[in-house]
Amino acid sequence: MFTYEKKLQYPINIKNPDPRAAQIIISQYGGPDGEMSAALRYLSQRYSMPYSALKGLLTDIGVEELGHFEMIGTMVYQLTRNLTPEQIKASGFDTYFVDHTAGVYPVAASGTPWTAAYIQSKGDVITDLHENLAAEQKARTTYDNILRLVDDPDIIDPIRFLRQREIVHYQRFGEALRIATDKLNSKNFYACNPSFDKNCGKK
Amino acid sequence: MNRCKLLREISEVQFAAWELHLYLDTHPSDLRAAALMNEYERKYDMLVRKYEEQFGPLTAGSGDSAEWLASPWPWEVVRCD
Repeated sequence: MFTYEKKLQYPINIKNPDPRAAQIIISQYGGPDGEMSAALRYLSQRYSMPYSALKGLLTDIGVEELGHFEMIGTMVYQLTRNLTPEQIKASGFDTYFVDHTAGVYPVAASGTPWTAAYIQSKGDVITDLHENLAAEQKARTTYDNILRLVDDPDIIDPIRFLRQREIVHYQRFGEALRIATDKLNSKNFYACNPSFDKNCGKK
Repeated sequence: MNRCKLLREISEVQFAAWELHLYLDTHPSDLRAAALMNEYERKYDMLVRKYEEQFGPLTAGSGDSAEWLASPWPWEVVRCD
């Protein structure tokens, strides 16, 4: 089960609404490499993970991603509060506003709604860990691109925090891949899939 | 101490404990890291108790329901000075 703590992982207090920035940052809410994709990817992959340490890692990182999902939702909410119709039209936020008003909805910056097609849960340890390593780097690139497009320190600070978490998670998933391959036949890691095949291990 | 400052202090200690927890997932035999994590977790428990006495529950099950609903939600903009 999950319990809720009434705080963010990292503080966010954005003084100046900026609907243009919100429309960019929302990609990390419901975009291909966003926090929702991350949380559902790891929390879904746990079930077919055979190794205890890595069940733990997928659970922990998946849960942290839910906290990041909340941080991005908070940023979008704070950036779109108290808007006038003039500001909405001038910023280009009108195309989002017409369907969602100032509600927070999981879409990419392009307006494409979130889809499970963004993620993979392949039921194969090596495949899933590579999916996760790539996902962390894709999220890091997205945060780098956001940092190229915003100049408000109230936005930059929490985005830098989230960017850094992608790098730490990448490091941990790299170690996870080593832990997994150490349990397999070093002459052929792909001889069998320990998530599915019986008696699959070092020969 | 004001609410924002205490919350920030809780987040710092909690982050340090969490970072060590993730590290220990892949380095379970590092006893120094485990001891350090326990130290941060103790500090976290102490600070949460201090916070909840002053500002109400931090988790849904840890206090009065009316207080739980009355305190600011994490996404709300709060004045911290």
